[in-house]
Amino acid sequence: MRTVSRRARFVSMAGSATVLAAVLAPGIAQADSASPSADTARSVFTIGVLQDMDSANPFTGITSAAYEVFQMEYPTLVSYGAKDFAAVPGIADSWTEAPDHSSWTFKIHPGLKWSDGQPMTAKDVAYTYNRILNGKYEQTNFGSYVSAVTKAEAPDDLTVILYTSTASPIVPHPGVYIIPEHVWKSIDEKAVVSFKNEGTLDAPSVAGGPYYMIERKVGQFIRMQANPNFWRGKPAVDEIDFKLFKNGDAMAQALKKGEIDLAEGLETNVYNSLKDQPNITTVATAPASFNELAFNTGAALDDGTPIGDGSPLLKDKKLRAALAYAIDKQAMVDKILGGDGVPGDTLMPPRYGEWHVAPENPMAFDPAKAKELLDAAGYKVGADGIRADAQGNRLSFRLLGRSDSSTSQKAVQFIKGYFAAVGVEANVKFVSEDSLTEIIGQGKYDMFEWGWGVEPDPNYMLNVFTCANRSYKQDGAILANVSDSFYCNPAYDALNAKQQVETDLAKRQAITGQMQQMLYDDAPYIITYFYDGHEAYRSDRFTGLVHQPEPDGPLTFQWGTWTYEQIKPVTAADAGGSTDNSSGGSSVPWLPIIGGLIVAGGAGFFLARRRPANAASDDRE
Amino acid sequence: MTMTQPAIDDPNAASLGARDVVKARRKASRQRFAASFRQNRSGMLGLTMLLTFIAVAIAAFFIPASSLDVTQVTADPFLPPSLQWPLGTDDSGRSVLLLVAKGAQISLLVGFAATMLSMFIGTSVGIVSGHYRGMTGGVLDRFTDWFLVIPYLPLAIVLATVLGRSLLNIIIVIGVTSWPGTARLIRAQTMSVTARPYLERSKALGAGNLHQMWKHVLPNVMPLVLANTTLAVSISILSETTLSFLGLGDPTAISWGSILEQGFSAGAISQGAWWYLAAPGICVVLTVLAFNLIGRAFEDILDPRQETA
Amino acid sequence: MALLTETPARTPSSAAGGWSNPSVRYAIKRTGAALSTFIFVLIFNFFLFRILPGDPVALYTRGRNVDPESIRALEAKLHRPIGQQFLEYVKNPFTGNGPSVKYNASVWEVIAPALWPTLLLVGTATLIATIVGVWLGIRSGWSRGERFDVVSTNTTLVLYSMPEFWFGMIMLIVFAVGIGPIPGMFPTGGLSDPGVNTSTPAGWLNVAWHLFLPVTTLAVIYLAEYSLIMRASIIEERGQDYVQTARAKGLMDKMVRREHAVPNALLPTMTLVFLNLGFVVGGAITIEYVYSIHGLGSLTVDALQGPDVPLLQALFLLFSGAVIFANLVADLLYGYFDPRVRT
Repeated sequence: MRTVSRRARFVSMAGSATVLAAVLAPGIAQADSASPSADTARSVFTIGVLQDMDSANPFTGITSAAYEVFQMEYPTLVSYGAKDFAAVPGIADSWTEAPDHSSWTFKIHPGLKWSDGQPMTAKDVAYTYNRILNGKYEQTNFGSYVSAVTKAEAPDDLTVILYTSTASPIVPHPGVYIIPEHVWKSIDEKAVVSFKNEGTLDAPSVAGGPYYMIERKVGQFIRMQANPNFWRGKPAVDEIDFKLFKNGDAMAQALKKGEIDLAEGLETNVYNSLKDQPNITTVATAPASFNELAFNTGAALDDGTPIGDGSPLLKDKKLRAALAYAIDKQAMVDKILGGDGVPGDTLMPPRYGEWHVAPENPMAFDPAKAKELLDAAGYKVGADGIRADAQGNRLSFRLLGRSDSSTSQKAVQFIKGYFAAVGVEANVKFVSEDSLTEIIGQGKYDMFEWGWGVEPDPNYMLNVFTCANRSYKQDGAILANVSDSFYCNPAYDALNAKQQVETDLAKRQAITGQMQQMLYDDAPYIITYFYDGHEAYRSDRFTGLVHQPEPDGPLTFQWGTWTYEQIKPVTAADAGGSTDNSSGGSSVPWLPIIGGLIVAGGAGFFLARRRPANAASDDRE
Repeated sequence: MTMTQPAIDDPNAASLGARDVVKARRKASRQRFAASFRQNRSGMLGLTMLLTFIAVAIAAFFIPASSLDVTQVTADPFLPPSLQWPLGTDDSGRSVLLLVAKGAQISLLVGFAATMLSMFIGTSVGIVSGHYRGMTGGVLDRFTDWFLVIPYLPLAIVLATVLGRSLLNIIIVIGVTSWPGTARLIRAQTMSVTARPYLERSKALGAGNLHQMWKHVLPNVMPLVLANTTLAVSISILSETTLSFLGLGDPTAISWGSILEQGFSAGAISQGAWWYLAAPGICVVLTVLAFNLIGRAFEDILDPRQETA
Repeated sequence: MALLTETPARTPSSAAGGWSNPSVRYAIKRTGAALSTFIFVLIFNFFLFRILPGDPVALYTRGRNVDPESIRALEAKLHRPIGQQFLEYVKNPFTGNGPSVKYNASVWEVIAPALWPTLLLVGTATLIATIVGVWLGIRSGWSRGERFDVVSTNTTLVLYSMPEFWFGMIMLIVFAVGIGPIPGMFPTGGLSDPGVNTSTPAGWLNVAWHLFLPVTTLAVIYLAEYSLIMRASIIEERGQDYVQTARAKGLMDKMVRREHAVPNALLPTMTLVFLNLGFVVGGAITIEYVYSIHGLGSLTVDALQGPDVPLLQALFLLFSGAVIFANLVADLLYGYFDPRVRT
């Protein structure tokens, strides 16, 4: 009786397993790059994010993750304070404006160094500003912060003079990241477009802020190491990692299990599931961002040439204002945000107490009033339930939602429902944010849903609505600028010009208040809600995180790096706590492995056990 | 095989010709087929499940639109199953039971429509390439090979991206990516039918290609086409679910795949809202299983070699 | 599996085995067929995206403030005669379409680090599924109608009807998040924890632990199909005359099974495993998405959301090429082991 011996069978399986291991081992090794194992007493703070940085080059990157990294790496002359955004020294100890408003002089803190040991001086500052002023590519991200500056000079290592063409309240505000001249001077106009600026273990990035980059894997993580030369003192946490997740669920689970220490950008449902978890502190931060329904108020280039195919009906501001009454913003806050937000009204979010204004004529949810206004404006309900104007043009519009965002998908469904109730048809289509930028730039839309994160200084946000920021033509191509409603009102532009040079706070507040009211009445946007930021972190592991502003502003993704400068590991757990925070490979789960081996062994035993039964039947044959 | 003979003393006997004989024979064989199917337990189980889902889809026409409108529902989101909400609620407070019932409509519709398209293309290509052995057949055969090799999901993703996200496009995408399997099968079957003697005889009698294919080949491959169709529907439903889950389906349509997509991105896993994900998934599994069981029953009946040795 | 209609070579067999050797002829013919398929895919890939509605330049500059010089260069490139564009594309099909829009890097740079995770995931799952599925199929096919067969066939039928990503989500809920009394033991996603050195054995374990759930999910779904195919093969083989004869002669059941039926049924099954690689690829895409594993599948899902056209094209080409190659290997293996096919 010839049977394959049990041993031979086992050997063949073991053999194939070995072959498998040999083939796949290099794969496993390459599956993630070699990184120093975290088994020294090194503290690592891992932040979970949903959106990757698009580029580590400060002149290219525009995502919020990118800006967070830029803040960690590059200093500014002045910082927004943690308490209430009031200006505090950055690398500039003091600054004064010339009495005739022709220049600002900044005194640089002495003895500063870059992370590679090279001295950080006024010359780096002048270099940075001049590069932006004279460059083309560099203007995209920083142009608006230097619009009043004509030239930068560094008469000595500790003094920088910025010459200005007019008075400007913006110059002493943060905005421009100072880059090291000794690194960037060898990257010319052409090279900067494709320069990656990613630090590696062998060649970390050269930084002046609290952290510099030591490794980055696209779509996976970014690793930043504490800068020993940081002028406010080397940060207590050795390493800060950003780990990318594809969805909020996975990120919340990772936080619960300790794979990450802080989760940022959580959506309401996921955030709520973390509220009563032990060791986790959740932070709902007062809104500094809003979402809006934006209209195509008449897409045209900055010289007035019409572009795109937006519905001409939306040029009627009475129509837009009437629609504002149709939307139940509170219901949207309750159902989409789970209550974590406030209904929207004017442009500047409530968190910026200095700039927020309440509208004089609040347009609350009132569908009856909406219908009344629509009737009065000449849009009568047709036989199919949809309104039309006197010429028979139906109020049927394309509504674009963002496929990348689940709140956008929901918001759009709500808006569609509300509009249908007052006789306006919204045809929903979802596109990605990349595509949407393109579509907006070309003017090929009627309405869309998006949002803005707003800066402490209103200048940037107010500028979005100026005639000059509409799309422009260059060499036959239409390029998008920041105006996404194509609102163009000479009265508004005049006020804008005034606020840009008004250095008296009260007067500037009055002007910006007027501008916000104008926008509220003309309704190029209907601001649906201001949404709370959601963060959650492991308070059993780290402490000392800083809110900006106090008491409930965000801990990360602030206008500054206060948390990164002051965060500390929780001392009670010290070595056990910080090294055991699962960023290291020491968290091998023996239980499931042993369990798996038992199962495998049991299966093998079971397989082997079959033989005697078969042997019996063999004998029968 | 019994043949029903026309009565010889019928005054119209002369006019009862070959066609009627064939019709009668086919009717008898259909009745036999139905009888065999009724005896196949798993096939009947599949049929029952399928009919249940079709009934649900029809009943879904009676769901008032306001129950599925996010601006009009009043329940809390993520409620677990209870008497009032048998399958719980979704992230906007809508009843998952109603969503799943509504989803049956699109899922089944796309499944059937895409399969019709795929069978149409596949059968036509299969019969033609099996019948015409020369240049045409060779070219079609090569074309089928090419499409057969290209991996299914990347092709579907690429096509859906190019065409855009709508119901019609999803049907086209699934139909266009699934036909090669059928074509292969039909081609093989066609070639074996073509070799049968009676076809040669009909050719000798002067029957043209089209006549042969339509009158002889098609009816003979039909049973296999039928079996293949039911299996193809199960694949189409799985495909629609996958494509909708990845966000390539019609964003305004409710289908089982789109419910899964919404649940996944609304954080159902974190919330522990297992009902939101389990319900549509189980529906997909049961529907696809139903088609698989029916298809296998067809195969069992039609392929005598599968009988127990 | 292609039906071979080869006419046998009529040249005398020669020790040198040159051109007239039928195996070589077969190999050349199959390779030629694979090549022609790949060329078809290349052409298809190129033209498909040219028919996308809208300005082709816009497609490639989505969302970026590209300076006018680059736009001019891109326009010059895209509005050249299509024949010229095609030639350039053929010269370098992976990068001839420009850099990835979303990641702002050349497509190859984006794809290269994602290769190994996918290979690891898919390779391990396929291997496990093949071993278990084949064994399961053989056992149930041979003992057709008995309880083992009934249970396993019904189970695999249910598994075969399941969307793999749904099964993955259920596994996530039960084993990674924890439901009721079961604690969540496994990671919720990713390939490894950041900072872990994956060249060390500890690193391997970390990766294995992360891959346990996704690999299990895929393996279970794959093995359902393999097992059903194998079972059908065995049943067919078992019905063959030579098996009946062997059994009639009194040869032991198991020996007949192992020595004759299985090898004969194994062959078409092994090649069918290769041929079903397309199905395997589809599973990888959705599972990587559900488990947040940064592999080729995840990249595809990211790319389709833009759409990031250059990346999508490159990935499509890569997947198709891999499956075509696998099919070729299957054909050649089949030809090597089964002489009936070669002649």
